[in-house]
Amino acid sequence: MALLDVSHLSKDFGGLRAVSDLSFVLNQGEILGLIGPNGAGKTTVFNLMSGFIVPLSGSVRLDGHELIGLRPNAIVRLGVARTFQIVKPLRKLTVLENVVLAAFLHEPKRPAATAEARRILAVLGLTEKADSYAADLTLGQQKRLEIARCLATRPKVIFLDEPMGGLNPTEVEAACDLVLNLRDNGITVILVEHQMRAIMKISDRVLVLHHGVKIADATPQAIVRDPAVIKAYLGEEAA
Amino acid sequence: MNKDRIIGAVVALALLGAPLATGNPFFQHLLIMVLFSTLLGVAWNLLGGFSGQVSFGHSAFLGVGAYATMLLHLKLGWSPWLGLLIGGIVASLMAIPIGLICFRLRGPYFSLATLAVAEIVRLVALNWESLTAGPQGLLITHLPELHLFGRAIDWETKIPFYYVIATLALLGMGVTFFVSQARLGAYLLAVREDIDSAEAAGIDTVRTRVLALALSAALVGLAGGFYALYFRYIDPDAVFSVALSVEMVFIAVVGGIATTGGPIVGAIFLVTISEIFRERFQSGHLIFYGLFMMLTIRYLPDGIWGRLRTLMRLSTQRA
Repeated sequence: MALLDVSHLSKDFGGLRAVSDLSFVLNQGEILGLIGPNGAGKTTVFNLMSGFIVPLSGSVRLDGHELIGLRPNAIVRLGVARTFQIVKPLRKLTVLENVVLAAFLHEPKRPAATAEARRILAVLGLTEKADSYAADLTLGQQKRLEIARCLATRPKVIFLDEPMGGLNPTEVEAACDLVLNLRDNGITVILVEHQMRAIMKISDRVLVLHHGVKIADATPQAIVRDPAVIKAYLGEEAA
Repeated sequence: MNKDRIIGAVVALALLGAPLATGNPFFQHLLIMVLFSTLLGVAWNLLGGFSGQVSFGHSAFLGVGAYATMLLHLKLGWSPWLGLLIGGIVASLMAIPIGLICFRLRGPYFSLATLAVAEIVRLVALNWESLTAGPQGLLITHLPELHLFGRAIDWETKIPFYYVIATLALLGMGVTFFVSQARLGAYLLAVREDIDSAEAAGIDTVRTRVLALALSAALVGLAGGFYALYFRYIDPDAVFSVALSVEMVFIAVVGGIATTGGPIVGAIFLVTISEIFRERFQSGHLIFYGLFMMLTIRYLPDGIWGRLRTLMRLSTQRA
C-alpha cells in the first residue's frame, strides 16, 4: 500500500527545471534508493517533500494528507523526518541535547525527553559521546546523530540524504546495517546515495533521476542493466 | 539545581535589604535605575539572547506600556498599578502580529522591522494629540493613595518604587530561569543555532519566537508602566527613543546573552558609566556604550557573567 504518493512534482530554479513532472509512490516498509548523476535534482526532491522549498506544481500525500504547503515542522509532526546532506547538528550543544530537542516533540517534559534521547543514542551507538559537543564528532558520528534526531521525532518515513557520503568502508557497512535496522523497526526509508554498492545491496527498489526527470524505477537488478541509466551515468557510447 | 536556588535566594535577600543600606535618595535612585535597566536587559535577553533575534526597537513596547498605564489612569481613572499590569499585556498583544509577520522572513528583516515599528509608534504618539497630547507629553501630578498593612504608602519617597521595581526585576529573572530550564529555552537556542535544523527536529520556529517576543514585550511593557509612574511624566521622544532600545541590547550583551544573571551585571555597568559620563558630556555616554559593546563582543562574547561562569567552572574542575 502506498504510504507516500508523489505526483507531478515540478520545480524551477530561475530558468532551470530542477525537478520535472516527477511521480512515484513509496510503499509501507520499503527502502527506496534515489540515485542520479550530480545535479539530477535528488536533494531538491527531498527539500520539496519535506517543506523546505515550495514546488511549482504537484502534490505529495502521506496517507492521503497533502504535505505541500505545510511548513517543515508540521511535516515532521505528521511523521516524515529527514537528514541533511551537509550535516546540520547544533554544534554548540552536546550530542544528548541535540537529541533531547527533537524528543521534546512527543515528550514535553525534560526528564522524559532525556530518557528517550538516551535510549535512541544507545541504539545508534552514541552513548559514549552523549556529553561531547556535536562539533567534536567525526563525520560518521555526526551522520548518526542526524539520524538519532530524526528517530526522536518518531517518524513513519525517513529521508536520508547521503548518509554514507564521506564515510570509510567500515562505516558504510555499519550505515547499511543501520538503514536495514530502521526498516525492520517499521520505518519506511528513502535514501539518496552515491555509494552504488551499498544502495544496490539494501534498496528494495531504485529510482533514477536525470536532469530532474525520472528515467527508471525498478529493482536494483533491473536498474544496473537499464540502458537509459547506463547512458545517464556513462554516456552514449557505453549504452 | 541546588546552586541556582542558593544564588536566587541570595539575590532576593540582597535586593530586599539594599535600600536599608543607604538613606541617600540619590543612591536609592541609582539602585532603582539599576533594577529598571536589569528588567529591560532581562526582557531583551529572552528574545535576543536566547533565540538570536536582535531587536533594535524594544522601546516600542516600553512606550506602549508607559502610555497604556498613563492613559488608563488619566482618561478612565483606573488604578495606575492595574494600568501597569495592563500595559504589559497590551505590549505583549502588540508584539504578536509583529512576530507572526516578521519571523516568517529570514535574515535581518526582524531587526529592521523592529526599528521601523518603534519609529511608527513614536510618530503615532507624537501626532495623535487628542489621545496622547503629542509632544507635550502626559503628567500624573500625584499617585492615588494605597494602603499596605494599614499604613499609607508614601509615594514621595523612593523606597516604595524600589520595591516595586525589585519585584518586577525578580519576576523577569524568574521567567528567564524558568524558560531556560523548560522546553521553550531549548527551542530558542535551537532557533539561534540553525533554523533549518530546528524545523527538521519538529520545532515550530515561528511560534517559538513569537512566544519569546510576547514574553519579552510583556516584561518591557511592565517596565514602561513603572517608568511612567516613577517619573510621572512621559513624552514620545523619551519613551520611544532609539537610545532606550540600544541600552537594552547593551545590557544584555555586556552582561551575558542567554543567561539569567547577566542583565543585572550589565545594568550595574550601564548605570555606572552613564552616570560617570553623563555629567561631563551631554550624550557622550552613548559613545562609551558603543565602545564597551565592541570590546565585549570582541573579547568577551559570552558577556561578563558568561565569562565569570566559565572561569568558575574551570577552577572547580581543576580543584
